[in-house]
Amino acid sequence: MSGASRVVSRSLARIDAPGKVTGTAVYAADFALPGMLYGKIFRSAEPHARLVRLDTTRAAAIAGVRAVISAADGPDVRYGAAVKDEPVFASDIVRYVGQPVAAVAAVTLEAAEAALAAIEAVCEPLPRVLDLAAALAPGAPLVHEGWQTYTAIPILQRDGNVCNRARIVVGDVERGWAEADRVFEHRFTTAMVHQGYTEPRAAVAAWDSSGQVTVWSNTQLPFDVQATLADILAIAPSKVRVIVPGVGGGFGGKLRIGVEHFAALLARRAGRPVKVVTTSEEELTAAYPRQGTIIELKTGVTLDGRLTARQGRIYFDTGAFAGSGPGVASVATMVLAGPYRTPNLHLEGYAVYTNKTNCGSYRAPSGPQANFAVESQMDIIADALGIDPLELRLRNIVREGDEGPTGQVLSAVGLEECLRRAAEAIGWRDRRPAPGRGKGLAIGWWTTTGGSSGVYVKINPDGTVALNTGAVEIGTAALTGAAQVLAEALGVDLADVTVVSGDTFSTPFDFGAQGSRTAFAVGNACRAAAAELQRKLFALAAAQLGAPEEALALHDKHVVGPGGRVSLAELARQSQVAGGGMIAPGTFIAPATAYDTKRVEGHVYPAFHSPSFHAHAVDLSVDAETGEVAIHKYVVAQDVGFALNPTYIEGQIEGGVAQGLGQTLSEEIVYRDGRVLNANLTDYKMPTTLDVPRVESILVEHPGRVGPFGAKGVGEPPNIEPPAAVANAIAAAVGARISSLPITAEKIVLTQRAGSG
Amino acid sequence: MAKIPITLQINRERHEALVEPDRTLLDVLRSDLGLTGTKTNCLDAECGVCTVLVDGLAVNSCLYLAVVAQGRAITTIEGLAPAGTLHPLQRAFVESGAVQCGYCIPGMILAAKAYLDDHPQPSEAQIREALAGNLCRCTGYQKIVDAVLAAANCMTAEKVAL
Repeated sequence: MSGASRVVSRSLARIDAPGKVTGTAVYAADFALPGMLYGKIFRSAEPHARLVRLDTTRAAAIAGVRAVISAADGPDVRYGAAVKDEPVFASDIVRYVGQPVAAVAAVTLEAAEAALAAIEAVCEPLPRVLDLAAALAPGAPLVHEGWQTYTAIPILQRDGNVCNRARIVVGDVERGWAEADRVFEHRFTTAMVHQGYTEPRAAVAAWDSSGQVTVWSNTQLPFDVQATLADILAIAPSKVRVIVPGVGGGFGGKLRIGVEHFAALLARRAGRPVKVVTTSEEELTAAYPRQGTIIELKTGVTLDGRLTARQGRIYFDTGAFAGSGPGVASVATMVLAGPYRTPNLHLEGYAVYTNKTNCGSYRAPSGPQANFAVESQMDIIADALGIDPLELRLRNIVREGDEGPTGQVLSAVGLEECLRRAAEAIGWRDRRPAPGRGKGLAIGWWTTTGGSSGVYVKINPDGTVALNTGAVEIGTAALTGAAQVLAEALGVDLADVTVVSGDTFSTPFDFGAQGSRTAFAVGNACRAAAAELQRKLFALAAAQLGAPEEALALHDKHVVGPGGRVSLAELARQSQVAGGGMIAPGTFIAPATAYDTKRVEGHVYPAFHSPSFHAHAVDLSVDAETGEVAIHKYVVAQDVGFALNPTYIEGQIEGGVAQGLGQTLSEEIVYRDGRVLNANLTDYKMPTTLDVPRVESILVEHPGRVGPFGAKGVGEPPNIEPPAAVANAIAAAVGARISSLPITAEKIVLTQRAGSG
Repeated sequence: MAKIPITLQINRERHEALVEPDRTLLDVLRSDLGLTGTKTNCLDAECGVCTVLVDGLAVNSCLYLAVVAQGRAITTIEGLAPAGTLHPLQRAFVESGAVQCGYCIPGMILAAKAYLDDHPQPSEAQIREALAGNLCRCTGYQKIVDAVLAAANCMTAEKVAL
């Protein structure tokens, strides 16, 4: 490659856009097969109860019903990413309102719904564990009496209702308190929130005569779903094929198996394809939302604003099954440390069972909650010490070569630049420009999840390039980014690249659309494949060009030598004759990040790989009468390492901020007595066009060592800082420090009244 | 429930269907006619992904009965532009980077179309008002609003050129 980039760093239109604007792109919810039945799930109406009788005979007799299954039909298997605690159907005990108890398949949706209404379940209530306080109280009833019998990741620290306690210990916080001039202690809470993808979870399953099941689903992790399905169905993974058509958003909510197993089990029983699609009510009562939390944070500082110690505990209300809780509790401790130098740390994350839906992963799992606490408290400390919040942060942020909380050595740290540029763009010098108006800052760091990716790449005889990847495009344009990396490496245009993706049978393994990793990891696998293709192309071209391979280069769709050039198309044609065509695999596994194993326990995510750094700044007003927040300006400065496609990175930032503002100001899954009160999209308030401000994106580029061209993960980070940035701006505007999410207008007014009363 | 025969005028083509009187237009479009460009989600007119045009007005087809649609001109995303071409709104959505997962986009584009037909030179605030019934969870709406503004300018320029 020579000179300016041809494809990367350019804001090219995503390759799947035409299909999406014309309605021709097929999503999982659109997928249908001839003779397909419709599946529905019968769910528990009790938060915690003994299921004494389940009668499905009336349901099975309804016209059009082709299958009814429950725990009695097997399989007796428990699954789960960290703790295998979740059965397919509740058998003796139901543990949350919404837990699957039975499933039906019928020739029409109406018949399936009628069958659900005809199922009879008799329950005897058990003591309920309805919130974190109840779960953690001495002598609390156990959500899982048999928790010790479950298979779990060995390093987890489990005890009763705690399905993991992750811990980071650095230095000695007692020494840190002694060195501190002031010690600050605060408590924060955050609400359970939903990812809010517009396409419900959907799956169509069909069995063939060889005993293979094919499942078309909108999962983010087809290979994980394949493995889980194989366990549940008690068949070899090679007998399970998962294909991902278009995905209408995921944000982490479509990582783990959702409805695929119900479709597969019903289809096996009925002998016909079955489609299962969730309703909005099911999404808001029985999906994988973000955990609500309680956070206790204690921080010591010197009078000149130097952090001496931090002790933090974050409790995740992970619901009836562990779900992502044990891992999320681990990641949280990394976030609680903040992107700050703090010599003494004692940080703990607890994942706690309650009788609610089991929570999962939502864009930067644990990030917004833990960051809300850390960055709110930084502003409280700044105000108490009379130090400008920007200055306090500048005195404590990590810089190049510093250690992360677990001892990893940080490199490509663009944090100071992010912080200064965000502050500049928001006009930080005038922090309180008018009565009721204020500005807030929040900073953070996040990981680029590694994991492995494989691709096959083929150069077609017309010179175009086929990229075959097991990755999944969930909307971020990450596969467009990876295709840009491939096109750049091969010296072709983005328009020359076509992508086939997300099929566990025909595409190579990929760790999946999670953790801001797809463009990063698939991009690197593409580079590896391109290097192999280059070797083959040069070997074939050298003789024709009369030049040694070392003298050749790939440029403008040709192999170029000192005395001439030959097109990739021609070489691809020749290779078809010479043998096998112009193909190459490429693989990538992110190198392990070294850390100090003595600092952690119960920790499944002890280092942030190729970490990104970011600063958010917001300028807002609070209505003196109503407490309503009006955002005038929102700025994000994010160190993306290298901007593969600036337009879609802006898109990630704008969308992440919008979601973050929803969590900050309006969104909450409201439970009362174990039941969700607002399981519809009118009462679960996601931001509309009228609620989201314009976002100014500043792309900071401190290239990392691992990612393609230095790129770091970009998808999750924009979701992390909005709660803290907004809380800090509200405090600046009206002096009300709100320590619980969502920050509703009501809370602002009540806090102001309490403060002035 | 007894089925009744209906005739629908969709994207300038006649379609015959045999439907129950309580079937929604959305269900008939997707299940009977295979027009899955119109998306399905909340089924309660809360999210807007099912938006289609009925006599030029944007409606939530999830709550619009198919029998009521008889005799009216229905436009779905598949019929917005001739096959192989893009309407200026579609082009603007592609060029502005307004598409991410894309699931809300057909409804978003049709809601914008209905509004632009009556308000060819809207302000940003007007566009935001017009699209307030269409949820998008990916984009934060910024590039969607930009795309509609760009399309409005383009459509106005094309009219002037004529």
